[in-house]
Amino acid sequence: MAPHSPGSDQIDTLLLIGIVAAVILVIAVNAALFYAVRRFRSERGAAPRQLHSGRRLQFRVGAVLTAFAALLFILGVVFTDNAREAPATGEAGLASAQSEPLQIKATGQQWLWRYDYPNGAFSYYKLVVPVDTAVELDVLSTDVVHTWNVNDLAPKADGVPGKSHKIFFSADEEGVYEGDSATLSGQAYASMQTAVEVVSPEKYESFIETQKSEIEAAQERVVDVIENGEVP
Amino acid sequence: MSTSPRPELVAEGYQSSRRPRWAELATSADHKEIGQILICGALGFLFIAAVELVLMRLQLLVPENTFLSPVAFNRMLSLYGATSVFLFAIPLALGFFYYVAPLQVGARGTALPRLGQTGLALYVAGAVVLYSGFLFTPSEAGVNPLAPLSELAFLSNNGVDAWATATGLATLGFVLLAINLVATLRMMRAPGMAWRRVPVFAWAATVSSWLLIVIGPVLLAALTMLMIDRNYDGIFFADGSGGAPLLWQHLSWIFFTGAYMLILIFALGTIAEIVSTFSRKPLFNRPVTMASLAAIAVIGTLAWMQNMLTAPIGIGWKYYAMLMSLALVVPFGLVLFNLISTLVGGTLRMRAPVLFALGAISAISIGLASELVQSLVGAAWHVKNTTDATAATHFALIGGAVLGGFAALYYWFPKMTGRTMGELMGRISFWTIITGLLLGFVPLFLAGDEQGQVVDAYKYFDSADVTAYNVISTIGVLILFVGLLLTIVNAILSRTNGSPAGHDPWSGDTLEWFTLSPPDPHNFDVLPDVRSAQPLRDIRVAIGHRTRRTEQGAARESQPVA
Repeated sequence: MAPHSPGSDQIDTLLLIGIVAAVILVIAVNAALFYAVRRFRSERGAAPRQLHSGRRLQFRVGAVLTAFAALLFILGVVFTDNAREAPATGEAGLASAQSEPLQIKATGQQWLWRYDYPNGAFSYYKLVVPVDTAVELDVLSTDVVHTWNVNDLAPKADGVPGKSHKIFFSADEEGVYEGDSATLSGQAYASMQTAVEVVSPEKYESFIETQKSEIEAAQERVVDVIENGEVP
Repeated sequence: MSTSPRPELVAEGYQSSRRPRWAELATSADHKEIGQILICGALGFLFIAAVELVLMRLQLLVPENTFLSPVAFNRMLSLYGATSVFLFAIPLALGFFYYVAPLQVGARGTALPRLGQTGLALYVAGAVVLYSGFLFTPSEAGVNPLAPLSELAFLSNNGVDAWATATGLATLGFVLLAINLVATLRMMRAPGMAWRRVPVFAWAATVSSWLLIVIGPVLLAALTMLMIDRNYDGIFFADGSGGAPLLWQHLSWIFFTGAYMLILIFALGTIAEIVSTFSRKPLFNRPVTMASLAAIAVIGTLAWMQNMLTAPIGIGWKYYAMLMSLALVVPFGLVLFNLISTLVGGTLRMRAPVLFALGAISAISIGLASELVQSLVGAAWHVKNTTDATAATHFALIGGAVLGGFAALYYWFPKMTGRTMGELMGRISFWTIITGLLLGFVPLFLAGDEQGQVVDAYKYFDSADVTAYNVISTIGVLILFVGLLLTIVNAILSRTNGSPAGHDPWSGDTLEWFTLSPPDPHNFDVLPDVRSAQPLRDIRVAIGHRTRRTEQGAARESQPVA
């Protein structure tokens, strides 16, 4: 994973903290187990000796574990809160998104992702966003639960029918970021891929304008066919 | 035990006219017979679940493999989930609880035997429904069939109905068995067997039974709603018009999270018995261990929303789920601390049950530690629903149900059959399982954490850079399969060919070792007065004192009178 958004940076750090904590726990348990098994075998020939566990020992162990859990909880809340904060649009970003984030809808349907842009244009499979711009992505679904999953940019988010699920990101570098869906949604679930293409604000503007005009032209053609019964 | 005339022996004359063995088994309400049927059924379904896992791993051996079609893979996945949870793990735990716990508390039977018999029948019915392939196409909706995918609009064949019926029947059966266990352990303990003297495994049975009585009906309610949705135009889990897809997630995760805790409580209870018996020491700090097991049941189940950290629910609920999951560090940590401290100062005899128990501690620690990463909300936004989650769950549950379950099998097999399981084959099986577990699931941690490979997908792409991980994982699962098979074969062979065990092969401290192996239908002719948590140790100590006194007396008498 290579985070390319302020939120993903926070997620990455928290994940690292979690893995370190997990490794500490695993090593502590298994080292203690290994030592106890090596040291206290029947072959040593001594009689078993009962240790008396005072309450204080249990309290101490409990206190250490509680402190460990509390520390992780605090770190978890701090980093998670940072990760879900709406980022600010930078200098190089889209001018119209300076005051409030660019609002885009991501709609999962069996087995495609559809993206709706503020000007009415839409695209399938690929989401195009401007670089260094705060994006508010509303993850939705029209049929079953789909999880929008582009790890390098944003948190995983479930699109549940009838529920709005807003997440924020701001890509710091132009390029294509691969993604997929992370909840079993039927037969073609494994092929339900997606991608986010991060481009300059100018390219983004021209992309949504072209999409819009092409979509409108196509719609006009359809209307023509319906009304005149002929293909122009 | 005694050779003096017993009233029970008068009935022996009738035994020649007994019905055949299979008819006895089918109609018996005896807790030992029912427990054994549950354990045998569970081991059979372990084999089937393992075959399904192997088939799925073969499909995932290379990128874009076409060994299984997407539909076949999803069916295999759904069958694997239902089989391993409802037909293997829970019945295995319940089978041992049902067989051993009444013996451990000195009960001569169970309080509600017919209820337990009905419970077994429902479990069998559930298994039959799930595997009547000629009547039902298997479900394609996954391990936990999330609404609305499970609704009629998206899966219109009868697969989900069969899944819901099968899991519902089995769950109802578990609840009935649990009610009987609670009643038995509450009402039928031997004189002197106060709660503070109840063996840890019997306590684990009590805690698990209460847990099942709470979570079982939650799943049954959800399944009923699902069946109404599918068959009577219901709208419980439909979007809009008053329904809510997330309702299914809440209800089903309450059950699955509780069941996860149940399996771990079973394993920890088993390990506690084995560790204390084989290091010849009472369990280190029993009261704290027992309280921790109860805390795991409560706090663990309250953490159900840990599975919904990517769902559109309020951030406050996600922090609550994280708090509950992290709070589990304390009771789990205390139990593991006390188990390991029991070893300290002891004289550990390294036999097969001990190997499996120690392996279970190790695997469970890896599984729980990685669940902890999964429960940090922000980190979950990266690793949820990746193969990291698969690996975490499998380490905890293979550690609990397979290693813990096999530890119980090797430990109590002599009590059930009068014969000991093969030691060498047990050791080979153990090391094969450990190798398979590590090779099979450690690569999935890496594939999930580094590359974000998603769960439940029937294929992956070469461009995702996860091919090497998946190849190693498939090899590991094949090794794991061989290891499982070795213990199952060992159990079958040892039933007739094992070396005779006697009533107490491990010199255990709890009452089940006081009676015959296998026990008579009424369990005990006589019971000792229970004055501590180790009644058999008390007897050994008393006999030791008397022998020593007698020897001293004899020595004194043989002294020449001065």
